[in-house]
Amino acid sequence: MSRPVLAAVLLSVLAVIGTLLLGRFGAYMMHAVAIAAIGALSLNLLTGFCGQINFAQAGLLGVGAYAAGLAGNAGWDLLALPVAGLAAVATAVLIGLPALRLRGLYFAIATLAAQFILEYLFKFAEPITHGVSGLLIKPMTVFGRPIQADQGYAIVAITLLLATFLVMHWLRRTDLGRSFLVVRENEVVAKGMGINVARTKMLAFMISGFFAGIAGGLIGFTARLAHPESFGMSLSVDYVAMIIVGGLGSMPGAVLGAGFITLLPEAIQRLGEIFHISDQLSALREMTFGLLIILFLIFEGRGLSAIGSRLVSARGWRTRQGGRAEPLELQKIKSSQGGLE
Amino acid sequence: MLMFTLQLLVAGIATGSVYALIALGIVLIYKCSGVVNFAQGAFVMLGAYLTYGLVKLGLPAYVALLGAMILMAGCGMASERLVLRPMMKAPLVAVMTVTLGMLILMKAVCLAIWGPDQLAFPRLFPDGAVDVFGIFVTYNYLAAFVLSICLSVGFLAFYQLTPIGLMQRCTADNPRAALAIGIHTSNQISLAWSMSAALAGIGGALLASLNGLSLGLADIGLVAFPVIVLGGLTSLTGALVAGLLLGVLQALTDGLLTPVAEQFLRTYTSIYSAGALQQVVPYALLVVVLLVRPEGIFGQRGTERL
Repeated sequence: MSRPVLAAVLLSVLAVIGTLLLGRFGAYMMHAVAIAAIGALSLNLLTGFCGQINFAQAGLLGVGAYAAGLAGNAGWDLLALPVAGLAAVATAVLIGLPALRLRGLYFAIATLAAQFILEYLFKFAEPITHGVSGLLIKPMTVFGRPIQADQGYAIVAITLLLATFLVMHWLRRTDLGRSFLVVRENEVVAKGMGINVARTKMLAFMISGFFAGIAGGLIGFTARLAHPESFGMSLSVDYVAMIIVGGLGSMPGAVLGAGFITLLPEAIQRLGEIFHISDQLSALREMTFGLLIILFLIFEGRGLSAIGSRLVSARGWRTRQGGRAEPLELQKIKSSQGGLE
Repeated sequence: MLMFTLQLLVAGIATGSVYALIALGIVLIYKCSGVVNFAQGAFVMLGAYLTYGLVKLGLPAYVALLGAMILMAGCGMASERLVLRPMMKAPLVAVMTVTLGMLILMKAVCLAIWGPDQLAFPRLFPDGAVDVFGIFVTYNYLAAFVLSICLSVGFLAFYQLTPIGLMQRCTADNPRAALAIGIHTSNQISLAWSMSAALAGIGGALLASLNGLSLGLADIGLVAFPVIVLGGLTSLTGALVAGLLLGVLQALTDGLLTPVAEQFLRTYTSIYSAGALQQVVPYALLVVVLLVRPEGIFGQRGTERL
């Protein structure tokens, strides 16, 4: 096992042990972070690896939540999550077909449109989604046994997060994964290398969509409700913020960013309680959030993961293994074109 | 029925002209600096709130409108200088996201100062209506239309006919060549941002005078994106025409299509309401445009594909 894989497995085991030791609230935070991390890894695959920005992530999560909810309520047991993933893949194909032939900019605007259309459909398709009252979801069942406790969901979410991480870690080293990076860096060069750019982007969007659907399904199962309001534009922006704050293109960064953005409102809540400013809390949260995105992008474009690795290398941990270079990525993300033009 | 349709058309053209004004700003920024500014919606909202704030301070409506425009120009310039300029060499994903960050920040500032509730926007224009062959056009609609069109046309004239407009066009066309002939391109980009924010601010005040003032104006400002795609991304005239088209389309959807659709749905399905159909229609149209004619009405063919 290579070092990142080993680290991921060990951290997951630690997280599971931690969950079992922590109380109910700790377990709740744990699954919230783990689910957000799956969603962030999914977006990172599309935006960080392949350079296509997606504002419909919340819409895809929503599709996953509704699909998992409907399948779960119908008693599909463990199949509910793959069904959620496939439903989101189908949605991604529908969004991608008109948009991915065009330059990246059009894709960004098309996903913006898709986000609003999906939100509308969640509200409007009442026979399926129960409209504005939301779809009630039964607890997730594993081989017929319903999961009731937050600890149970935390363990499921951490396991799936580990699986997602490993799949993407493997994917990045395949031909397809490398062609994502080439498309991001320069579409003309990618074409010259014989890469079918539109097809590569579509595959990235479909794979990204699958994991978004699974994350959405988990959101549905843990919230026990799929509601149009919970999958709005602002959630999409949250996910974009996660991968930016974490460091675009970095998988540990996406997980860190997910943790950061998920826990930030909790931290601000606590601060608000201490300083008695609960009236302005939501404004304060949003302000911090907006400022963080701007400051991170201006001063540390490579995000938390870069800060982390600087700390590590400052202590000489990296130099011992002879300064191994990362394969074809990340180093130049600040100066590169980002694949959007 | 005919009268009703004409009445809808009037409302649509009025809102559409405001959309055009907002979209002009996005196209201007995109042409000049290659940035897709998602904060334009926030400029729209902020302009409306600033006008509201200035009127509350006791200024007369027109002075408040002018004051808000000047403040917005400052805000646009500040955004460019403080946020966009340090990111000049960053990848486009990062630049787009930073404008989103600005959107969130400005929304939060408005939320902190003015609260989450819908506010009664002060009357900018007198009550009453003109009767044009039996169609009632309220002064609000009339003023929104006339002001937007005047500002848009004035801006286009400025862009095409004045020396500064020429420098703007040079910067948009070829920044290096512009630098070589002595144009201070970064000042031109700052200017583009401040003009764009000022246009958006006025647009916001006009929208608020038509539909009321709330944080939702930031989302309404995003309708400018379907407008610019329909118009052809880099065409200022395109933005103008597409803005009017989308305004009319929205009004017709709201007044004519929604009742028909609801009738149909209630008869044949268990769905009771078609919801805010007019809010998604621009986005549905956007998808159709991307499928059928991705370069938009006035765009150059071939620039949009890979």
